[in-house]
Amino acid sequence: MSVVNYSTREITCKIVYYGPGRSGKTTNLQHIYSQLPEERKGKMVSLATETDRTLFFDFLPLDLGTISGFNTRFQLYTVPGQVYYAATRKLVLQGVDGVVFVADSQSRQLAENIESLQDLHENLADDGFDPRIMPLVMQYNKRDLPAGEVSPIEELDDRLNFRGVPYFPASAIGGGGVFESLRGIASIVLARLSAPVVKR
Amino acid sequence: MAADESKQSDEGTEFADFMSDISQEISERVESLDAALPAPAPPPMRKASPPSLLSDAGMILDWDNVADRMIEEML
Repeated sequence: MSVVNYSTREITCKIVYYGPGRSGKTTNLQHIYSQLPEERKGKMVSLATETDRTLFFDFLPLDLGTISGFNTRFQLYTVPGQVYYAATRKLVLQGVDGVVFVADSQSRQLAENIESLQDLHENLADDGFDPRIMPLVMQYNKRDLPAGEVSPIEELDDRLNFRGVPYFPASAIGGGGVFESLRGIASIVLARLSAPVVKR
Repeated sequence: MAADESKQSDEGTEFADFMSDISQEISERVESLDAALPAPAPPPMRKASPPSLLSDAGMILDWDNVADRMIEEML
């Protein structure tokens, strides 16, 4: 996906929230949606199962209006975290400009986080993107849970963030860290306006 | 109650802050891109059409210029 189009004066960024099932990807988008002023509230598309698990994906278009003469749009997606929705994750990743990896801070979820991160890298590589240079931020979610249940930030960062990308502790259910993560990934994506994502 | 009011007043401020940061980011980026882009090429120079050497009736008015122009064409 082209991030900036000079001829039509448009900036479009596709941001995908990736991570294991129940890590809080949809909650991130729901919080962002709740904060939008009425005039900017489009439709958040969400397909969930009866147990509120994301079935297909969530989609939240963010029309930011005209900035410096450019009509600016952010398109936020989530992927279904469950292992068996691999094909959907690959589909949603197509044309991605940046990824927020939403990790579940619970100690018992570490293996799922690692598996999902590997899955992300494989899918990016399959789609022709170099996973080492794809704009990425890490979000360590559920920091509101009791200290005994969550891994320390340093440990999570040591185990998951081998690229050393920016990371954000978050409690998406209360909104903490949600916009910080979005701002973080937006900043990296926008910094590459002149250098589109390189396909291998 | 007070907490509810505070929460309501907080709604939207996160987005406003985000918009402010993003606007600044884009503005700086666009400026640097504009500076880096090559200046638009000037329109191709069009040869000024020489003054007509013919009268409305097709009579040659300026023989010297006609000769000069023929020599120019031959070169």
